[in-house]
Amino acid sequence: MMMQRLWLALGALAAAAVSILAVVLRRGVMRVEVAGESMTPALEPGDFLILRRGAPPAGAEYGQIVALHDPRPEGDGRLLLKRVVGQPGEALRVGGSLQVNGRVLIEPYAHGDTPTEQHRGINRLEAGTYFVLGDHRGASTDSRDFGPVAREAIAGFAVLRYWPVARAGWLRPPVRRLLGVGPEVPQPLVWQTPSPDAGNP
Amino acid sequence: MIRNAIERLIRPTETAYAHCDLPCGVYDPAQARIEAESVKAVQERYQKADSMKSAAETVEDYRSRCLSIKEERANMVKEHLWVLWTDYFKPPHVEKYPQLHQLFWDATKEAGLSKKSQDPAQGEKLLGLIKQIDTIFWETKKA
Repeated sequence: MMMQRLWLALGALAAAAVSILAVVLRRGVMRVEVAGESMTPALEPGDFLILRRGAPPAGAEYGQIVALHDPRPEGDGRLLLKRVVGQPGEALRVGGSLQVNGRVLIEPYAHGDTPTEQHRGINRLEAGTYFVLGDHRGASTDSRDFGPVAREAIAGFAVLRYWPVARAGWLRPPVRRLLGVGPEVPQPLVWQTPSPDAGNP
Repeated sequence: MIRNAIERLIRPTETAYAHCDLPCGVYDPAQARIEAESVKAVQERYQKADSMKSAAETVEDYRSRCLSIKEERANMVKEHLWVLWTDYFKPPHVEKYPQLHQLFWDATKEAGLSKKSQDPAQGEKLLGLIKQIDTIFWETKKA
């Protein structure tokens, strides 16, 4: 009798835990499979990730890999994975290297060059907007095409890769390192739509 | 086998794309414009072959080179316009800008004509058509 009650209690406990986990999984986090190679080598096609829903905590956005819905009118709104490289109030110069407020950003995760066709030049980020780029700069559709992204447009940020097991682990953002001299935080200016000549510096 | 079974079991239902629309989802009529400017510049040089040619070549040689380069550039204008026409512009764009098909038809035809024409005015006409496409393109980008 005692054993029967114990098993019942354990069963109920397990059911409750599974229910809570299911709710948490649905509300707090999302699971996605990576497709495409614009975030290599950090993310490889076929990686399974856990993302926390919503934008990264304010002030800790740099370097986070975020999921956002393709904002382009000609896009189909599917989820894109990109890395936050520019935060609200910053001025970014996009070209050979990336400069933040006049200082070169050291990006050990990035490789490849910005194609000349993509928007280059200075992008000033308004409050609540972010500049996101793929780590594979030569093959990524990102803020160089669709401009800065609003905080509300960020569906989630990557926290964990759980598959493949050999590459499983936490996905922590890198520490931001800047070279050179320049003002840390300039006055935020209005984002300007790239001019027709933007691709031809 | 076990690995595959586990992978199937834990596979997320949603896909997120670390993607690049090859060719990078980047469209810009500036590419066609630059090539068309080359066409027009070559047409001008063709007319001034006497003064433009180097001492080592004859006027005929210089003009032959002009024609060869112009042929190539005019083809590139067509290529860039075709990419915009067939890849970038979508049915809603054509609904909003009903002149779009005719405009691309005229522009690509004009690019073809520039292979035969040595008149810079023809190159200018081509640039004018590309300018109209460019205006529509950037209006759709703002939308």
